[in-house]
Amino acid sequence: MAESTQSESLITTDVQVDTDTETVRAPDTIVETTDLNVFYGEDQAIDDVSMEIPEQQVTAMIGPSGCGKSTFLRSINRMNDQIDSCRVEGSLTFRGKDVYDDDVDPVALRRRIGMVFQEPNPFPKSIYDNVAYGLRVQGKADDVDLDAEVERALRSAALWDEVNDQLDKSGLELSGGQQQRLCIARAIAPDPEVILMDEPASALDPVATSKIEDLIDDLAEEYTVIIVTHNMQQAARISDKTAVFLTGGELVEFDDTQKIFENPADQRVEDYITGKFG
Amino acid sequence: MATESTSNQRFEQVSRVKGQAFEALTFGASVIGILALAMLLVYVAVDAFDLEAASPEWLLTYFLTLVIPYIGFCLYSAGERAVTRRTLLALSVGLLVNAVGVTLIEAAGTEIPRLNWQLMYLFTVVLPVTGYVTVAGTQGRVGAVGFGLLGRLFGGAALGLWVFVLFIVFDTQMWFVVYTFSVLPTVVLVAAGRWRSNQLLSIAGLVAFPVGFFVAVTLRPVISSYPTTFLIYLWTLVLPLSALITLLTAKQHDRKTGGLVGATVALVTLAGSFALAGGTIPGTATLLLMLGVSTLTVTYLHRVLRSGEGLTGLTLPLLLIAGALVGAYLVKLTGVPTPNPWFDLSYVQGTPTTQVLRARQAGFFPPIVGSVIIISMVAVLSFVLGVGTAVFLEEYTSNTGFVGSVSRLLQVNIANLAAVPSVVYGLLGLGLFVNAMGLGFGTAVSASLTLSLLILPITVISAQEAIRSVPSDLRDGSLAMGATRWQTTKNVVLPEAMPGILTGVILALGRAIGETAPLIMIGMADIAFSPPSDIWSRFSAMPMMIFQWANSPSPEFRFGVVAAGVVTLLLILLTMNASAIIIRNKYERGS
Repeated sequence: MAESTQSESLITTDVQVDTDTETVRAPDTIVETTDLNVFYGEDQAIDDVSMEIPEQQVTAMIGPSGCGKSTFLRSINRMNDQIDSCRVEGSLTFRGKDVYDDDVDPVALRRRIGMVFQEPNPFPKSIYDNVAYGLRVQGKADDVDLDAEVERALRSAALWDEVNDQLDKSGLELSGGQQQRLCIARAIAPDPEVILMDEPASALDPVATSKIEDLIDDLAEEYTVIIVTHNMQQAARISDKTAVFLTGGELVEFDDTQKIFENPADQRVEDYITGKFG
Repeated sequence: MATESTSNQRFEQVSRVKGQAFEALTFGASVIGILALAMLLVYVAVDAFDLEAASPEWLLTYFLTLVIPYIGFCLYSAGERAVTRRTLLALSVGLLVNAVGVTLIEAAGTEIPRLNWQLMYLFTVVLPVTGYVTVAGTQGRVGAVGFGLLGRLFGGAALGLWVFVLFIVFDTQMWFVVYTFSVLPTVVLVAAGRWRSNQLLSIAGLVAFPVGFFVAVTLRPVISSYPTTFLIYLWTLVLPLSALITLLTAKQHDRKTGGLVGATVALVTLAGSFALAGGTIPGTATLLLMLGVSTLTVTYLHRVLRSGEGLTGLTLPLLLIAGALVGAYLVKLTGVPTPNPWFDLSYVQGTPTTQVLRARQAGFFPPIVGSVIIISMVAVLSFVLGVGTAVFLEEYTSNTGFVGSVSRLLQVNIANLAAVPSVVYGLLGLGLFVNAMGLGFGTAVSASLTLSLLILPITVISAQEAIRSVPSDLRDGSLAMGATRWQTTKNVVLPEAMPGILTGVILALGRAIGETAPLIMIGMADIAFSPPSDIWSRFSAMPMMIFQWANSPSPEFRFGVVAAGVVTLLLILLTMNASAIIIRNKYERGS
């Protein structure tokens, strides 16, 4: 097999880099890790990762399968607590507070950090109840105008126009792309500070994917978005900063997206982005 | 390898003999059990309804006045030529086969005990065909409406009678004071709080409940005169139910419609029960029966009339009643000999007896009441205990460490408990509930606790399966929204698992209602001449009574009375299962 032809064809020539970096001021850091190690039993999934994730920007994480990017994401809102064998070392701070401190309640933490999963997972409830779920379980439903909040969340998720006359319909009756936007609406309804997205478009077709991407762009005006993706063009299109993980849970490079895609410092990153491996 | 490339190339045959033999074997195995049970049920039905004495003319009359119009209705509703053709073909060919076949068998000298060809035709052709056309009929709009109404008539009657049976062991006057001083003020205050969005009123309502309850319990022995039972039921059941229906309908449509529907429910209940009681003050059973029927049918009629579709279907109950009446009239007119069924109203309402000469007077009422009350308590107890255990094992324990070992130990034990014979559970009930805890020999409390323990492993295992089958995606989704584990369980896991949990509970209850051995062990009465007055008095249950009758020296008991008892037991079991299945389907559709 001719190595060169394959890599030629995979080279991402049409990468468009998000160039409208109008933010001149240095953004504040919202999530910061120092020497973070995560183990599943004996296996190390994250290896000494240190990074500072800026507020109100889109940070993308790319890397081959099994490189620990999802694990990293799930460490931020302590969803890894669900896995018995998972062990976290090092520090991971959210607004300066280590989230793995004993006095941090993971439930309270997750109320400030929303999450969207790879597979759309709306609850088998009506669209309205899906979006209102966060407000209800967080005890905010009585203090706010629930109808207005549901509408706001659905509008932010660019779903309102498609479902406004069928809010009683089950969330499961929507198409895959609509379901994922419903999940995004659900995540932003309680107004979290950070939204984590674990390959939110990987189970969707290109049209639905582009809708989700537009949405993420809009969301970044209000929220901090941390997104894991397999798709390098996607990372290039939507993110302000990009982190590249490689096998073994090692963070190889973390910088402005433009720099990563145009002039990466590490040879391995260049190889990965141009498709030489991974 | 093909040596010639002509078009008539041949493939060798692969033998499928073993596969076909295996297929036939599995088919046979699956059919044998069902056939055996069907034959048993046929004989039970023949005995219970005294069909042996039914003359061919009697069968023909009802076939013409009742069965044919019913089949016609279903075919009209289905409105498909193919269905009609199949039905007619089955009816006519079945008639021929049965008549010729049975006559030939009998001519050959082999009597088929207690069955003639008309009855064979009834069981082998008419019943299956009726079932088939019923299913086909419900597909059409007309049939859907008709069977919807019929189902609500039966369901309402069952519901009303069930409440009636429960109230037999419930102190009506206690219920009256509790309702008046505790339930009513609570509901009014909470509703007012909701309506005015006044937090204070809602809290006052919640406080009113225990305070009112306390007041009621203190006042119960102090008050000396109470309204009559009829008035109490009117005040505590008929009025609030009508009000509730008014509110619900008003919320969906408008106030006028709501008031109309609510008032109709109350009026139909009262008018119907006075009519049934022949103008006098109706008894409790009549009132509750009518309440159940009118609540379900009036709301259903409102819905159907509103949509205005399939209205002809509403004639189905009339068609059946008219058919039965015309049949009865013709039979009386022509003086055709009629069967004298063991299973009839006087049997259901009557007092049991074991006296050999009084088989015709034997009734089944006290055991029915006993079984219904026990099974109601078992349903609540085993549901709470079973779901609680399953939720704990599935949602709250981890797989590692000390807790993990404990939960694995529990798991193994529960699986083994399911295999413990019921008589052993009877011994446990005798030792624990009757002797150690002093809950009394053969009382409803000790019986239902014993039976709940007996079916607990089945409910736990099936509930665990149901909870385990809830995708972990949904759990993660809920947890990631900042829901606690309890909120996740309550809002996501349990609603999603509920259909599966209910299926398991239904199966388990079916087993519990027929258990005899544990009841014998805890000293259940063989025969009780009056229904129990409260849950601490000695009970009898249906399987106990049937078992007792089956030991009778008189064949009238061993065949007629026992068969009628079995039919009653099966009817109650089927009603119970049907209602549970309806609730389950509601859940499934809701999700």
